[in-house]
Amino acid sequence: MNIPSKFDTIVVGAGPAGCASAYLLAKAGFKVLVLERGRGVGSKELWGGKAYAQPLRDVWPELDKEAPIHRWVSKERFSLVWGERALTIEYKLGRKVAFTTYLTELVNWMARKAENAGALIVDEVRVEEIVVKDGKVLGVKSGDDIVYADAVIDAEGVNRLLLEKLGLVDKLSPDHVALGVKEVLSLDPKLIEERFMLNRNEGLAWFVAGDITLGLPGGGFIYTMRDSISIGLVLPIGPAARAAEKGLLKEHVSSLVEAFRLHPYFRSFWREADVIEYGGRMTIEAGLKLMPRKLYMNGLLVVGDAAGFLVNTGYTIRGVDTAVISGKLAAEALIDAFNNGGPTEENLKSYEEKVKKSYIYSELKNHSGIGDVMSDPFFFQKIPQVAVKAASKLFEADYEEPKLIRSFLNAAKEENISLLKTIYKLGRVAGKL
Amino acid sequence: MSSQTSRLKTMKLEELLQRSVWDVDEERHIEILKQEGLRVNALILLCPMGCYSIAGDKLIMSYEGCVECGTCRVLSRSDQIRWEHPKSGRGIQYRYM
Repeated sequence: MNIPSKFDTIVVGAGPAGCASAYLLAKAGFKVLVLERGRGVGSKELWGGKAYAQPLRDVWPELDKEAPIHRWVSKERFSLVWGERALTIEYKLGRKVAFTTYLTELVNWMARKAENAGALIVDEVRVEEIVVKDGKVLGVKSGDDIVYADAVIDAEGVNRLLLEKLGLVDKLSPDHVALGVKEVLSLDPKLIEERFMLNRNEGLAWFVAGDITLGLPGGGFIYTMRDSISIGLVLPIGPAARAAEKGLLKEHVSSLVEAFRLHPYFRSFWREADVIEYGGRMTIEAGLKLMPRKLYMNGLLVVGDAAGFLVNTGYTIRGVDTAVISGKLAAEALIDAFNNGGPTEENLKSYEEKVKKSYIYSELKNHSGIGDVMSDPFFFQKIPQVAVKAASKLFEADYEEPKLIRSFLNAAKEENISLLKTIYKLGRVAGKL
Repeated sequence: MSSQTSRLKTMKLEELLQRSVWDVDEERHIEILKQEGLRVNALILLCPMGCYSIAGDKLIMSYEGCVECGTCRVLSRSDQIRWEHPKSGRGIQYRYM
């Protein structure tokens, strides 16, 4: 590394959280160094495809005008699928709440904002250790080089190699994380707008549950980009691994994504499309359980995925806005600390307090029951199966169409599940979703 | 499953992998240290890039197609699989994700 020797703050990782912190600290006049392991910013980023705008505007009010927004989400769809049958609900939004884009592009924009504010971003640097002496963080180490700073912000992402070394977190459990596998399909914007019935610059977000995951916990997602469609599956790793070991899952995950792409209901939306990229990443499933023992120590703050700040509500996964806001809160706490004698443990405590007062923490708490749903195959097998079957009784009647309630009762009976148990289970999780 | 269909599936994954871009490091960043107790089926089926496969009676890991997701890391102990990020910006180079 050919880097000046001392900084006010080093940020590890140029993701959404790291860039937000770096931008706000640099804007306040502090000397900030961002170290990114990838080549260029964004080369290691993969997400579903949708970000909530308002929290991002809290940091960058110019977001709507400047950010690389592909499409504003104007429609949300939810489908339960079983076999070739599907039951779909669509909601037309009334305002600009969320947008789609490539995260690779979005973080590039965030990093440029930080650079323009005065932060130094250096890529291709793999930080291997946070250097601590006598309980105080002194800087970071990469290879034989040590770079010193008064404070370090750990924004290393979901694979928390540095925090594990520090002893602030345990190794991740398969039951606390999920695997996302994604394909990007290139498609003419005109076809995207025709097929999904969208105006120009409008987009669609689609969540799918059912046998596309072979009954495993998890689901599928579809997002329309400017001239492509992102599709993929999210599978909690614990249940998927157990299914693989029991022989219940026999196919490679890429085959599941492929079956989703070729599914008779979905494929007509992108039939000419070509796969332009394929990839995967791990995501957080049980945010609160992943929170480090402490979000701060003498000279250190933890933000974004590294801190477990990703909210999974079961039908949406919000990680980028929570990352950005945690980056903002960390920067604010750090600026306060710098102005009040330095980033000591005592002075950085306010970060944890700010987080606990923010929507990040209340959202994590509100949706913490999602773990019960995610570990119960009932919701991923029986619910979609019965719902689709009931619909088939209503809509595929040659002569006699059953009454609505009868279609559900019969479907439940044929699938051998008790309606009472279903209502009980749904009622129990309804308060948690 | 006939060998022909399974071969087709493997080819499909290989074809998919050609759509993504890597700058592969000469040095491996992930390594199997110990075969004992590895969750073989889970690693083979869940590594999204198909980096894990059986050769003879051993599980092998081909790091070239790795996207650094961490799935194999959480499915094993640190004395079973050594797991690091590639250095110098090497590894997967996502463009449209």
